[in-house]
Amino acid sequence: MAEAPAPASPGGGSHESGEQSPRSNVREQDRYLPIANISRIMKKALPANGKVAKDAKETVQECVSEFISFITSEASDKCQKEKRKTINGDDLLWAMATLGFEDYIDPLKIYLSRYREMEGDTKGSAKGGDASAKKDVQPSPNAQLAHQGSFSQGFSYGNSQVISHSLTPLTKLSDGSDPRHRVEITPTAIPII
Amino acid sequence: MRQAGTYSGILSGGISGKTGPHLLPLARIKKIMKKSGEDVKMISGESPIVFSKACELFIKELTQRSWMVTMQGKRRTLNKEDVASAVMATDLFDFLVNLVSESGEATTPLEMDTSNYS
Repeated sequence: MAEAPAPASPGGGSHESGEQSPRSNVREQDRYLPIANISRIMKKALPANGKVAKDAKETVQECVSEFISFITSEASDKCQKEKRKTINGDDLLWAMATLGFEDYIDPLKIYLSRYREMEGDTKGSAKGGDASAKKDVQPSPNAQLAHQGSFSQGFSYGNSQVISHSLTPLTKLSDGSDPRHRVEITPTAIPII
Repeated sequence: MRQAGTYSGILSGGISGKTGPHLLPLARIKKIMKKSGEDVKMISGESPIVFSKACELFIKELTQRSWMVTMQGKRRTLNKEDVASAVMATDLFDFLVNLVSESGEATTPLEMDTSNYS
């Protein structure tokens, strides 16, 4: 599939998906992620000879938006209860763990730390908050984790100290990937503290 | 100091070698987040980034589970019904059940069973 993300085309929101799309023509670019990106990720998950029908891509596209809303709502509830206004990354991780996606947490933490590292390189002091949060996956407990305490204690989320005693509960991993393994690497791969 | 090489495997496998650091557009993710509820007003800059990866993991998982259904049917093309069946069969995806049964004519095994009864 080579379609580009649908541009703003009045009345033709679903033009790239043909007539069989059950979706209304509410502006698609507001509701869904681009189908080309979805398609690319799907294909990466399949063997080389696997094909994906257009309707399957559309369904997954809808599912992804639902996933975002599902997690965001849960995170939003948490923020409201705690009287905070801004949903942050930790809220989302918490929501995912709460809603059964705990397998995603470790890969996400790695992704985030990687991102923060790159951001830190470019922005540096511009975002002090990020700089301290950056230490999440390093073996140094920090203030941010402290105020997320309820979560980091309950789940294997946070620094290596948490990871180390939570290896056993985390054995259930759905697909072949093993985020645990990668997390274990992280502290040793970053010898600086 | 840290070395990019340590992570490059994660990066190229998990994010993308070609499309820049994030595989999914962050602005779009943010829009979808904001549509999740009226209470969702402020979103940290990091949140869409978390989602860009989370959605990737989610899509992969959903695709792989769907593909198993495709394989069971001895087919090579993953279709909408496969996705629906995968959703039905996976507790984790319970929140999608309405979506796939609305948009598709997914036949649930339960309904088929009762039809024998008369």
